[in-house]
Amino acid sequence: MEFKAVLTTCPYCGCGCGMLLQVLDGKLVAVLPSKTAPVNQGKLCVKGWTVHEFVTSPKRLTTPLVRKDGTLRESSWDEALDMAAMRLREIKKEEGPDSIAIFASAKCTNEENYLLQKFCRVAIGTNNIDHCARL
Amino acid sequence: MSQKIRQYVHQLLSEGKIKAFLGLREENGHIMPHLFCEPQELEQISLGDRKEPGDARYPLNQLLIRLAREHPDDTFAVLTRGCDERGLKELFKWNQLNEERVVPVGVGCPDDLARACECEKPFPDCLIDGPQGQKADSEKVARIDGMDLEGRLKFWMGEFDRCIKCFGCRNVCPMCFCNECSIEEESLVGKGEIPPDNPTFHLIRAVHMVGRCIDCGLCEEACPADIPLRTLYKKVADIVSEELGYRTGYSIEEKSPFNIIGG
Amino acid sequence: MAEKRMTFLKKLMEFCGINPDRLRVRWVSSSEASEFVEEISTFVEDIKKTGPNPLKAKEAA
Repeated sequence: MEFKAVLTTCPYCGCGCGMLLQVLDGKLVAVLPSKTAPVNQGKLCVKGWTVHEFVTSPKRLTTPLVRKDGTLRESSWDEALDMAAMRLREIKKEEGPDSIAIFASAKCTNEENYLLQKFCRVAIGTNNIDHCARL
Repeated sequence: MSQKIRQYVHQLLSEGKIKAFLGLREENGHIMPHLFCEPQELEQISLGDRKEPGDARYPLNQLLIRLAREHPDDTFAVLTRGCDERGLKELFKWNQLNEERVVPVGVGCPDDLARACECEKPFPDCLIDGPQGQKADSEKVARIDGMDLEGRLKFWMGEFDRCIKCFGCRNVCPMCFCNECSIEEESLVGKGEIPPDNPTFHLIRAVHMVGRCIDCGLCEEACPADIPLRTLYKKVADIVSEELGYRTGYSIEEKSPFNIIGG
Repeated sequence: MAEKRMTFLKKLMEFCGINPDRLRVRWVSSSEASEFVEEISTFVEDIKKTGPNPLKAKEAA
């Protein structure tokens, strides 16, 4: 039997509210705001209060999906990555690099977002990089 | 202060009277809920006082309900302040917790905390450590009672206007355990509006606090908009006490008047 | 019991700045048709005298 509160930072916006993930017998069951975190001091917004719902949601993808004949179908990582690389290369050649845009995420780490914008600017060759927190 | 608590819990654990103790732990300057299963973990016990008394309290009864549902045959001890005990008494009557499986570990609140909370009874009956504080004077409700009707409307509408519908008040409440919550019901409170139906959203919550609110203050502490929710729910408790003769969390038998349908 | 709930609700309304007279409670049985009509008519008149609900004005604003 184990119950613990795991201190972490909210994965949503740039505020970085401190929250406690409630883990009961190895399962994430609920969230509480951290009373001692300086940013939010025991308060959360509705997105922060519901983080545990998306983490354990049955709707989360478990495999990559590739569109074949107009329908999204399950595929392997290799197939999906090959398809993405091939099509990006084709589109860049046919329409130019500025026809491609990349959308980063607050749920990624800083390092992942850094890599993404490097890929966008250097590999693709466009400045069309943006981020959901800018909305 | 925690020395007595630590010793009491240590005894409970080593004598096998409890499976574990649900309390608070301090680590690296952060205080959080924790289930202490082994005596050696007790070094990190905290009572929820970081910079000020009671500034790092959590809804332990809410966590206890979840724990007890998964492990209904185990007995747990739980850190209990005056308000927590009021909560336990109601939760036993509401069948959310089994009295035989809960051992309260009582802590009395110091005067400055009791005054800040305007607490009716800042200590539990099962006191292990801490003072048996005085009932504090009530000013917050009196201030609004002193306004005229128009003044009160302006005040409350202004406060509720800042609500961002985070549901923090409901989520953090140790007494809210309903599977279907009325304030999430679209026919009562419209979806997609900020602030939510003013004042309907907050009045519905206030009415649902009858016979339920134990005046722990966690709702007001969780509100990002600093709405004086506690004052509203204190008034609810006052009205219920005057009109229906019921005070939440004192009787182990008498149920809340709103529990009864008809009659 | 319902009467007690209504008393409670009126007091809560008053605390929040809503005139408790805007809520009327009256026991009417299904055979008391004329009393029902009279009560409603009187209530409508009384409400008109009390004036528009300030909450309406705030909603429009």
